Parts: sequence; C-alpha cells; structure tokens
Amino acid sequence: MRHRTVAGGIPRRAFAAADEFSILADDLPATRDAGAADAEIDAMVDSAHRRMARALRRFRRPAVRAGITDSPLGRLLVAEGPRGLLAVAYLDTPGAAPAFDALRAGYDVTVDLAVAVRVRKEIDRLLAGDSAPIDAHPVDLSLVAGDFQRRALAHLRRVPPGAVVTYQGLAEAIGAPSGQRAIGNSMASNPLPVYVPCHRVIRSDGAIGNYGGGVERKLSLLRAEGFAIGSDQRLPPQAVWGHRRSHIFCRPGCAAVRRATRPRWMIFADAEHACGAGMRPCKLCGPG
Amino acid sequence: MESGGSFPFPPPFDEAVRRHERELMRYLMRATRDREDALDVFQEMWLRAYRAWPTLASAEGVRPWLYRIATNLCLNRSRDRMRRARVIAEDAPEFATDNSGVNGSNEGVIHLRAAIAALPRKQREAFVMRKFGGLEYEEIAEALACSPESARAGVYQALKKLRAAAGG
Repeated sequence: MRHRTVAGGIPRRAFAAADEFSILADDLPATRDAGAADAEIDAMVDSAHRRMARALRRFRRPAVRAGITDSPLGRLLVAEGPRGLLAVAYLDTPGAAPAFDALRAGYDVTVDLAVAVRVRKEIDRLLAGDSAPIDAHPVDLSLVAGDFQRRALAHLRRVPPGAVVTYQGLAEAIGAPSGQRAIGNSMASNPLPVYVPCHRVIRSDGAIGNYGGGVERKLSLLRAEGFAIGSDQRLPPQAVWGHRRSHIFCRPGCAAVRRATRPRWMIFADAEHACGAGMRPCKLCGPG
Repeated sequence: MESGGSFPFPPPFDEAVRRHERELMRYLMRATRDREDALDVFQEMWLRAYRAWPTLASAEGVRPWLYRIATNLCLNRSRDRMRRARVIAEDAPEFATDNSGVNGSNEGVIHLRAAIAALPRKQREAFVMRKFGGLEYEEIAEALACSPESARAGVYQALKKLRAAAGG
C-alpha cells in the first residue's frame, strides 16, 4: 500500500483519475459523485460506525439537555443530565460564563426547551409558595468545585423553605468552624442556585447578606418562602430559632439559644413555620 | 419565553456525523484511493473532531472545519509515509529506483504529484479541497481562515504552477 500513496496525500491512482476529470483544465470543483459507488460508501460508513463507537466510548462526554428561560427570577440557563439538574445560572451575573464554559468543555450539550420550561414552572410554583416541585427535582452535583463545597451544598438541601441557617452555623455544621468565608464563596459559586438553596444562608447578625444572583433575588426568594423581610434587609422580629435535635424553638434572645451550639440551629420565618417543620415552642421564652 | 437560538454551544456531534459522514468518506476515498486508508483516516478525523468539538462556536463552520481536519490528516499521513519510504530507500537503494515498470503516461502523473507536493501549503490545501473534496471557495476560505478571493487565488496559483509543470 505504501508505494501507492504520494505527495499531497493523493495516491498515484487518484492522478490517473484526475487526468480523466481533466483536473487542470479549469478551476471547477471536482464532481461530487466521482469516485466510489454509493453502495460502497454506505458499506464503508457502516463498518466505520462500529469501530468509531468503540473508540469514542472511552472519552465520550456525558449528554446534557440545556435551554434558556425567562423566569420570574430573570433569564436563566438551565442544563439537565441523566442524573438530574446540573446547572442553573442567572444570565445577567458573572456566574453565567463559568457555567457555559464548564458545560461546553465537559458535556455534549443539546438544546432542549422542555427542561427550561419545566424549571420555569417550578420557579413559578416556588414564588407562589409551593417548593415541593423544586425539592423533588433530582440534582447532579458534578459541577460542584470540591469536597468542601459539596458538603456545604449537600447540607443545605436539608434546610426547608421558611428556614435559614447562618454562614457561621453552616461552616460549623460541616466541621469547618473557621470556614465562614469559604462558605460564602461556596454559596456564590453554587452551580445550582434555587435548587440547592444557597439563598437560605444569612449572616449571624440577622442581615440577609449577599447572593450570587444579587440581593434582590435573595429577598424575593426568602419573602416567597415566608420571611417578612422589610426594607432593612434583616430578619423580621417574629423569626424564631429552632433546635434540630430537641425540636424546640425559641425567641432569639432565649437563654437556651445562647447556651446551645450553633450548628444545630435553624432560623424559621415565624412560629408557624417552625411548627410546620415539626417543632414545639420553648417553655422558657414561650415564642409564638 | 424559552429560547435556544443564540446558544453558545457547538451543534450536536452525532447530528454532524450523520449529516457529513457520507460526503467525507467519499472525499477520503477520493483522496486516498484505498479502502483501508480511507477508513483509518475517517475514524481518526472524527475522533479528533470529537475532542476539539467544545471549541466549535456554532454549526456554521462545521463542514469546512471537518474537511480541514480530513485534509490535514491525509497530508500528515503521506508525509509520514514519504519519510518512511525515504528511510527504506536509503537502507535499500534498489527500492529507490522502483520506477522501472512505470510506463510513459504514469511518468506525467508522478511529475504532477511532485509538483503538487512542491506547492506552498495554503495553495496545496486549497487545491486539494477544491479538486478532491469539491468544496466551494467560501468553504475553503473558512477552512483555511482566509477570504474566498484568497482561496480562489490559491487554487488559481496552484493550477498555474501545475499546468506549467505538466507542460514542461
């Protein structure tokens, strides 16, 4: 075979054919049906498919379906893989570019508006006070940056709507008491905002703090989930502290809150939300 | 409310395979004139295309880009073979003059081949894409990252040199 291939990648026999097509006569492109017969090409493509499938299997990127939706929270990029929702990104924030890059580099992305429609409807429901569809939506944490962020975000999935935790409390809950700032970064680069509720993390002093999608969105989400947050952007006075293990909730100033360790506390929008989460009021401070 | 039109993602790979595989196989068959060679290059080009797929911005330039990969692989392959052939020729001089059986009409063909090999890279690629791939100038321009006029000029220059080589 070797002696048949020649300079320019064109083997000797091609030049015999080239002469037939009078290759030098004009500058018209070669006729497209020249060469092998259709049936032979079909047979070759068929046999190539089997070899290619084998070779490609080794470095095939996972398939995801993605779309863009104008949700009530703004324009969102949404991507879903076989294991669940993979990415949600606010298109008007700096977080959108890394999401696009990560999807492009690591996945085979096909446009599928059904995914985007479903997410928009679930967000509509959430803003109307029903978080059940979002809670039930499976998530794929593959785009999470590392073990620290994974633990922080996994922990957040256990904070129900109508409740929040503090950055400090979350840091302590995942065994990194001095990792408050790292928690902040982990929340800011959450690949699945809304679905992994990083908006349910606030500052220990009662201010709602920052949000990757902007403070306005955090306010909308927390208000939709029951927090009567005013223009001061702080927790409302009726918010109560619930202890995860004892299932007792207290007023913020209660001696029990000050005694107990922070990781076990969640802050509920009000007594009603705490009761809804299966808690009972403290006998010392008598909240609600 | 939902959209996908201005999506900055490459088009689906499998769709591009389905759409272009037959014409590319035909092109490779024409370029290599050997079933096994064509199949090898075909597989290699799709693997390369798959790996580089994330760098594609849109469906627009896919076809010329694929032709470009295919053409480069054919050129690399023949360069490797020529290098190997040269080593063999140096080791065993009798193979070097294995043109004894070649008749008169084939001598012209060999001459033409050498002339194509001697073309500058851009002219050669443009010529091969035009003559063996049947691409339009716009497509060649995209594949070679130049203007269609420049692609046309490349083919024209190649033709001029090759005609001179064939005549002289």
